[in-house]
Amino acid sequence: MESDSELVRRAQRGDHQAFAGLVGRHSASVFRLALSIMGREFVPEAEDVTQEVFLKVHDSIRSFRGDAEFSTWLYRIAFNQAVNVKSRARYQSPHVATADLDREAARELGTHQQVEESLRDLALAECIRTLPEVYQSALRLYYWMGAGVAEVADLLGVPEGTAKSYLYRARQLLSAMLMQRGYCDE
Amino acid sequence: MSEMDPRDAEIDGLLRRSMAAPVPNLPGDFEHRLIGELRRRSERLERWRRVLLGGYGVTSVFVSAAAMLGQGLDWGTISATIFAPLVLVAGAVLVKRRAETRVMRGR
Repeated sequence: MESDSELVRRAQRGDHQAFAGLVGRHSASVFRLALSIMGREFVPEAEDVTQEVFLKVHDSIRSFRGDAEFSTWLYRIAFNQAVNVKSRARYQSPHVATADLDREAARELGTHQQVEESLRDLALAECIRTLPEVYQSALRLYYWMGAGVAEVADLLGVPEGTAKSYLYRARQLLSAMLMQRGYCDE
Repeated sequence: MSEMDPRDAEIDGLLRRSMAAPVPNLPGDFEHRLIGELRRRSERLERWRRVLLGGYGVTSVFVSAAAMLGQGLDWGTISATIFAPLVLVAGAVLVKRRAETRVMRGR
């Protein structure tokens, strides 16, 4: 199998097959990264981000000099693109007010414990949204998508130790926030 | 991740339970749609490139001809001055294409 750098070199010479090879190899990871930043309410937007990232890469692949791994460069573009899209006003809150849906679901669930759990999950989701983007992304990759620390580190372009500390720090912050809201034991 | 304090373990468990949901995948035709979009974009760009180059070429021919007429040159000299470089460029492109064809056939 051809390495990324060989495919990149061919794509830089205008070989469309080579570019398609890079898309096939990395599109799932870029989508996962985009989704981890956007959140699960924004699947179509994460798809759009993935497409936009590859269009940008196609336009600027000649400027890639190979100082870093292609994947590092690609994931950096994906991260920035997803954060930009998310920061636009209409993405700051979900299309469907999940808070309302969750409250409604909690009411329908019936038992006191289920209602409590649902409200706590809702509080947790709200707290996660207030964390720095990189922490949110690390949490979603690790807990939602089942990525290992190595994959989290790879997608975020940081060493494994840093990815671990992102997760640890995010948990600490969430724990403190939930405690303030009365959801965690002191 | 193995040595967690109780508070860390509690929030870890909470996150695992709370975030347990199916993970969506990219649609199967994503690659196909992306390549289609790239093709459409490059066709649009190519069209614009041709229009711009054509416009530039026509304008420069008229401006050059007017300037040379102003200098008192006759139409024969003006035509030769304008068309000689074009013939040279066309010739070079032709030679390059033939060389590429020979290389492709030689493979």
